Amino acid sequence: MMVRFLDVVIGGLLTGGIFALIAVGFGLQYGVARVLNIAHGEFIMVGAFCAWTLFTMAGITPLYAMLLCAPFFFAVGFVIYRLLYSPLRTSAPSAAAFEGNSMLASFGLMFVIQNIALLIWGAPVKGYTYLAFPINILGALFSANRIVTLIASVVLGAAFYMFLLNTRTGKAIRAAAQDPDAAELMGVRINTVLALCFGFGAMMAALGGLLLSMTSIMLSPVMGMQYTLIAIIVVVLGGLGNIKGSFVGGFILGLVGYIVSSWQPGLSMVAYYVIFLIFLLVRPTGLFAK
Amino acid sequence: MKRHKLLSVLAVTVALLLSFALTVDAAPAKDKIRVGWVTSLSGVNAPGVMDTSGNVYKMWVEEVNAKGGLMIKEYGKRLPLDVTMYDDKSDVGTMTKLLEKTIVEDKVDLLFSPWDTAFLFASAPIANKHKMVLMGGSGGAVKLKKMMPKYPYYFQVLNGGDDHMPALADVLAELGVKSAYIAYIQDLHGLEYNEVAQKALPKKGVKILAAKSFPLDQQDFTPLLKEAKASGADAFLAFLYPQNAFPATGQAMEVGYNPKVFYMTVGPCLSGYRDAFTAKGIDGVMGAGAWNVKTSAGAKDFFERYTKRWGKEPEGWGTLMYYSSLQFFGQAIEAAGTLNQTKIKEVMETKTFPTALGDFSFPKHIFQNFPGLVGQWQNGNWEVIDVGAKRTAKPIYPKPEWAPPPKK
Repeated sequence: MMVRFLDVVIGGLLTGGIFALIAVGFGLQYGVARVLNIAHGEFIMVGAFCAWTLFTMAGITPLYAMLLCAPFFFAVGFVIYRLLYSPLRTSAPSAAAFEGNSMLASFGLMFVIQNIALLIWGAPVKGYTYLAFPINILGALFSANRIVTLIASVVLGAAFYMFLLNTRTGKAIRAAAQDPDAAELMGVRINTVLALCFGFGAMMAALGGLLLSMTSIMLSPVMGMQYTLIAIIVVVLGGLGNIKGSFVGGFILGLVGYIVSSWQPGLSMVAYYVIFLIFLLVRPTGLFAK
Repeated sequence: MKRHKLLSVLAVTVALLLSFALTVDAAPAKDKIRVGWVTSLSGVNAPGVMDTSGNVYKMWVEEVNAKGGLMIKEYGKRLPLDVTMYDDKSDVGTMTKLLEKTIVEDKVDLLFSPWDTAFLFASAPIANKHKMVLMGGSGGAVKLKKMMPKYPYYFQVLNGGDDHMPALADVLAELGVKSAYIAYIQDLHGLEYNEVAQKALPKKGVKILAAKSFPLDQQDFTPLLKEAKASGADAFLAFLYPQNAFPATGQAMEVGYNPKVFYMTVGPCLSGYRDAFTAKGIDGVMGAGAWNVKTSAGAKDFFERYTKRWGKEPEGWGTLMYYSSLQFFGQAIEAAGTLNQTKIKEVMETKTFPTALGDFSFPKHIFQNFPGLVGQWQNGNWEVIDVGAKRTAKPIYPKPEWAPPPKK
């Protein structure tokens, strides 16, 4: 019984770690930069493919690959925001109009990234195995690679949280999350800060994808969408613009998903949607709204 | 912007995401035999298409066209095949619309079958409505076989659950397997295999401890595998597709789940499956459908030509059957001497033609002369382990320990 309990709890946390990372990235883009980034999953997909390419072609392990990919994807996200979303934002008559326009633009971005990935990597699924052996924790068995992904997600999440709390840029991001217009009036260079958020979001997604690819999943250019949906659900769960909420929400969703799929694997997606609906109906501000 | 507005945008977005579909068009041509081929070039099914029937169809078309095409007596000359491909995005609804389009608007002369059991199931009535011969490829449904008297223009090539599960039950009984844990995908493939297994296995003394279903895009199998391990079943049987078979295998290694029999329907028969985990890594894994170079001289020849053309080995379940079915199809069209579908259908119903796997015919519209039904990886070779004359090697039991690729 104890082993079973441990299995479910730790197993859920292992799944939740990656969800948390993905959701924090999405939360930064939607909650702060106000871009409902449908292409979020595509960054996850590209991150996963980068890990695959570096591992199978150059023998670079995914953890080293993270060091290479993090600055790259941050830069890509930053540039995309400045080129695509900054003009949309400054030309939009209202915040609501920007929201709609940026969502449509992100749909376009999704197809562009997906098709570039199809051209580069092709349709057949790819995969690799890394640290594919079990580790015994008090009688329950867990795969080594999942434990590594959990540790990496927690470290990344905590580091980012410290960054938000303790730096000037972090303060600017938090101010922009509360009210971008007021923040701008107070002297925050809002376009740069929002671009930073988008860049960090893209980076988190890519790192999430990198970690995800370690867990023996199959990679395909169309894999991103299911993770975008999960990110949307987690962000609703944690509250829009609430970074801590997104992080904790990821773990909660991972736990629920794991518990449900231990019982009936077919119902895990259903459980996610049920949570999504309940939160939209009962507590649309999320778990951690003040 | 107000929260509730944000949320309504969100809700609309989710709805849009779920319903998005895109079609890719191609242009028709003249003075040729025009072939309509609707299949999944993107989406969840795309990974499986080319490695199963897709490349075989392409290779056959190339070979026929290299000879100048098919000799059609009605026109007094050889006509090359001109294939128009459409992408159904792995969506049945899109496939049915595109299939109607190829028939009604493009007015194609021949059809190639779409991919996946559920897609065949949906396409047979459409082909039949327009009196177009539809020879099945990858996919086969017990339900479809039952409905076939209503669809005289449909011909079934691939074997399915009603062939595989009894053959598997025979092998399991011979090995002394007492219990099984079943996992199956939530589509027609998984449902039917499970349904047949529920009857076929107990008949041979194999007790089914549990049967769990999972969704099509399932990637994390660890909870399911752990439960299977806890059940203590002799055999783990999974009815799924390659995109699930790969993670299920990798994750079985990760959680140290090594049952005496590890069987999956679609996945193990791919040479890419062996190469992903190394021959030693997956030694003893069983799967549905089997043939190899020992099956026949034609099989050896096909294996070698396919490997040369595509740079990888053909999968060990259906490729030989698809290739042979096309050889049969070509001979039937030439024998009919016309592109009239009803005449071609009549030839296909009655005649037997020599093909790579041996004699090929469609008794009651269903191909029966299978090269093998249960396969097992042994030293990197995909062996036929059916009980009876088609066996190419003795089964290995219990399955050796997993040997995952070395840690880097």
